[in-house]
Amino acid sequence: MNQPPDTQASDARARVTGRLPFVLNERVPGMLHAALVRSSVPHAEIRAVDTGAAAALPGVVAVLTAEDLAVNGDPLMFGDARQDQPVLAHDRVRYVGDPVAIVLAETRRLAIEACSLVDVDYVDLPHVVDPREATSDAASLVHEAQAGNVLATWTLRHGDADAAMAGADRHYDDTYLSPPASHVPMEPHVALAQWTGDGVVILTSTQAPHVVKETVARTLRLPEEQVRVRCRDVGGAYGAKVVTTIEPVVAAAARAVGRPVRLELSRSEEFHTVCKHAARIRIRTGVRDDGRIVARIVDVLWNAGAYATNSADAAGYGMVRAPGPYHVPNVSVTSTTAYTNTVPSGPFRGAMTSQLCWAYESQIDDIAADLGIDPVEIRRINLLREGDRYPTGEIMEDLHYDEILDAVTSGLAALPPAPPVRSGHVRGTGVALVIKSTQTPSRSECLIRLDAAGGVELLIASVEIGQGAHETLRTLAAEALGVPQSGVRVHLPDTAVAPYDSLTASSRTTFAMGSAVQDAAAQLREKLRGLAAAMSGTDPSRLRNAPGGFTDPGGSRCTYEEILRHSGLDSCEAHGRWVSTGGLGSLDSNGQGSASTHWHQGGVAVEVDVELETGKVRVLRAHGACFSGRTVSPIRVRQQTDGGMIFGLGPALFEELLYEDGQITNPNLSDYMIPSMLDMPPILGGSAIEGPRGGRRELHGVGESTVPPMAPAIGNAIRAACGIRIRELPMTPERVLRALYEEAGA
Amino acid sequence: MTDIATTVSLRVNGSLEIFDIDPSEALVWTLRERLGLQSVRTTCGIGVCGSCTVIVDGKPVSGCLMLTVMADGCTVVTAEGLDATEAGAAVQKAFTDHHAFQCSFCIPAMTLAAHALLEEYPEADDDTTREYLSGNLCRCGTYPRILDAVGSLCRRANSSASGEERPA
Amino acid sequence: MIREFHRPRDLGTALDALADAGDEGKVISGGTALVLMIEQGLVAPSVLISLDRVQDPMFSGVELAGRTLRIGGGETLSAVASHPLVRDVVPGLAEACRRVGNVRIRNRATLAGNLAESDYASDPPSVLVAHRATCRVLASGGERMVPVERLITGFYENALDEGEIIAEIHVPVPETGTRSTYVKYISRSSEDRPCVGVAVCLQTMGGTVADIRVVVGAVTGTPQIFPEVLAEATGKAATPSTWKDVAARYADLIQPLDDARGSAWYRTRLIDIMIRRALSQAAEQDTR
Repeated sequence: MNQPPDTQASDARARVTGRLPFVLNERVPGMLHAALVRSSVPHAEIRAVDTGAAAALPGVVAVLTAEDLAVNGDPLMFGDARQDQPVLAHDRVRYVGDPVAIVLAETRRLAIEACSLVDVDYVDLPHVVDPREATSDAASLVHEAQAGNVLATWTLRHGDADAAMAGADRHYDDTYLSPPASHVPMEPHVALAQWTGDGVVILTSTQAPHVVKETVARTLRLPEEQVRVRCRDVGGAYGAKVVTTIEPVVAAAARAVGRPVRLELSRSEEFHTVCKHAARIRIRTGVRDDGRIVARIVDVLWNAGAYATNSADAAGYGMVRAPGPYHVPNVSVTSTTAYTNTVPSGPFRGAMTSQLCWAYESQIDDIAADLGIDPVEIRRINLLREGDRYPTGEIMEDLHYDEILDAVTSGLAALPPAPPVRSGHVRGTGVALVIKSTQTPSRSECLIRLDAAGGVELLIASVEIGQGAHETLRTLAAEALGVPQSGVRVHLPDTAVAPYDSLTASSRTTFAMGSAVQDAAAQLREKLRGLAAAMSGTDPSRLRNAPGGFTDPGGSRCTYEEILRHSGLDSCEAHGRWVSTGGLGSLDSNGQGSASTHWHQGGVAVEVDVELETGKVRVLRAHGACFSGRTVSPIRVRQQTDGGMIFGLGPALFEELLYEDGQITNPNLSDYMIPSMLDMPPILGGSAIEGPRGGRRELHGVGESTVPPMAPAIGNAIRAACGIRIRELPMTPERVLRALYEEAGA
Repeated sequence: MTDIATTVSLRVNGSLEIFDIDPSEALVWTLRERLGLQSVRTTCGIGVCGSCTVIVDGKPVSGCLMLTVMADGCTVVTAEGLDATEAGAAVQKAFTDHHAFQCSFCIPAMTLAAHALLEEYPEADDDTTREYLSGNLCRCGTYPRILDAVGSLCRRANSSASGEERPA
Repeated sequence: MIREFHRPRDLGTALDALADAGDEGKVISGGTALVLMIEQGLVAPSVLISLDRVQDPMFSGVELAGRTLRIGGGETLSAVASHPLVRDVVPGLAEACRRVGNVRIRNRATLAGNLAESDYASDPPSVLVAHRATCRVLASGGERMVPVERLITGFYENALDEGEIIAEIHVPVPETGTRSTYVKYISRSSEDRPCVGVAVCLQTMGGTVADIRVVVGAVTGTPQIFPEVLAEATGKAATPSTWKDVAARYADLIQPLDDARGSAWYRTRLIDIMIRRALSQAAEQDTR
């Protein structure tokens, strides 16, 4: 079999043999194990917490409540954007799973056992689970000090949507539902905090070490330099580890007892810590008889859960992404996010995009059918193209939707055929496209250091989650310096030595940190060129780049090691930067401005089989495509394309966090299923649409491009197969069967 | 006769381990915490996900659902010891060669399941592989690369003159 | 907290230890269910009696004894699923055992343990009911034969007394012309437990139904069988219209549970569909 040249990641063997460093593996002497006592009720006042029996258990060192962690009598509050989340609940609990107390014990088992001995006296309050109910006047308040449950509302007004809608030949008005789902990283949230003097070192499984540092410092009222956050390889995240979760309580508990503290969440706790934003999307579209979309009005209501996390901005990102990858001259979007007494929501791979893509990519097929236009053709009529104005008012560059649409349709057609259709089954194909802005503004910085032996070290806070970010950055550094890849060592993130990086999410690392690494490497090379020029008395401009050094006009070569040695230096380093401006905060009150530095573009085409008697849907074949810019690693791009489709299959067909009376009823992997090897489409294909090498925009992220389109592509294929439209996820056999019955008029 | 077993002896990755044990200790805990074998990982704790797969007396089992006392006298292989045999080493090499990993939390366990599959079904086709490995979950969705890796090792693939590949 | 762990070599010693332990004792076989329950804090036995070293011939092996297929209670589901005699004589049981959980669970879980757990959503019990299987149940004072049909009495509840152990399972060898099948319908991931499971044991003679057993699992606390419906079908033509009648009657009679795997509405429809499928599939099989 032909191996792409980059197949062998430097740590491939460690990954396969189980020797990869995870925070989960970390232990330090004197460490205590923590477990959290969590609320069993969705909304209540806490009258009393009796920790006596738990504290008396031999081996239990302390049982701490909010009072024990308070600073100057103030309970500790945290939150990356808004400090509305108690580190431990003090007067109230706001969802089932809200932490009330932390038990510290000599073993983890003991800590967990002691939790059941903590007695919390609750006075129940009315609770609200549905954001629609939460935004009604009569709703009980999730945060009693606030005027209402609305956390944020964003509006975009472009053109005159109402007038254009009124003037359109046809109108479509549909409501789509996307329920909460769970990230299910295989490695749970785990953190270990150790105090040394005034400062704390936190080892944590996170996607955003610098954000955790800032949040913990703010929460514990410490200068930022006294908080050091370190990472290892992360065993899956998908957005679950973007927002700060357990780090503040672990750090605060360690300070309170004066010993290192480790907390590892159980699988059930994972389900109760962060989830995908549930959304209700009403989408109205006005179309001309020739298929041209002239107006779109989108009203989306997000469930933020009990605490803000990043939900206020997230709703803004949702607003920006709501119109879809089409050139629509008149757009109105209202994006509202509301508190409820449920698990706090956070970014979920394809964040604030999957939900909207589900709506706009489903509806466009209904429009096509109504107009008698082919679903691919109606997309072509409306596609957003180079130079078009996006509904935020910005002019779009570097768009590749025509190629993506071609790639997924011809890619699917070229795949080996599925086995013949059986009696009682029907088949259909569907496509869907997606547009996703990236986190803007954001910032990535790095340090690159050449040592006397010619080794290159890269100090970054970008996190390796298995996407291959570190390998990609290593490739870019090696290439920019003209050294072999094996000569570049990438350090695991440590905020004490690695400069600022916003986060490893939003498919931004290859682009943002990649650009910073290129900048650093270029600066370093210029420094070295200067040194070499001084050393040989040559004009720097006359030294040409050569592998690991320079050649002078006479053809003689000097290596980086020689340059350092002659210059009497132990090392030479450069600080690289990539900064984006604009973004959400810069948009005007109508959502006009520059929303994103670049746009993630992807698509999926699928063939499904529907069993008419049972409603069971099976995806037989799928082909995904994304715009990858300059592809640094074909196999890693393909892993994201395939992995995205497989990941997207779960929420499309069966993943849903279920609530009853404010309680999650399926917080385990037997009742909440994720896709298995038998569930994935047996025939899969992928394409990367490549951009040119070089230039400001050569690098591009690909981590999410096939996740959002998966559900609508499947929904469209179901429609093509049997004429029904499902508007609520997941598309369970039961929902499909009910729709078939309705269609048949039964 | 009845043993009241508190002392357990296990042969783990070739070396004999003897220790006293609380009978309620699960094998995953023994291997990970007591013996420091970090390839053995808990994700679901209920035998569904397969992250704690280990091979006990030649068969894959869930370490989270097996009491260590019940493994007394057994031979245990974890990913750390898989390369002790040629076949096991070949599985690891196939996974690295085919880039069959992403976050890699589930992968060491997956290699053990793949090894057990190939021992039981040396001529496994993709359908057999999917069925056998469907109980080992990978949230990153690395399944296509895992199928490539396993497919490269099954006897069918190696004897096939066409060298047919799965669709790209 | 487990205080004592016993690992007897014979069932007699196991039974004595179980009797001594009283309600503090639990028998552990493969452990896939019990360890989960202990870890989740659902049970907290202080004495565990493991059967994995039991040498009694009745506790292991699969063999024909006259007109009975005898399956040792300690046989794992993997072993039962792949045993040539099981595949030949009771193919539905092989299929049901092959479909339980995943390969790791099947490598540990035993057939006796599976019955003793009495999980409403497990696959093998319905097949054993369909085949009129009987368990040999031992206690320190003696033994009794319990039909599987009467063993499972509710959600995770059964007719075993404290101090009893299932030693072996007897499956009557089906008469000539009998087919055995198991159909598992799952509504979510491949790794899900069944939404509906249907076991069928069907004997036809000259195109008519000589004997019919249809059992539906995973839809209520116990495997569902309706002898009056089956009696009506006996003697009728072995044709799809007969299967349709049986399926419709079962769908009408069963009050299925309502959960994330399917509402009662959905399960009622699926019971109808899967019974028809299982009977048609059985009717099309080659007979022994």
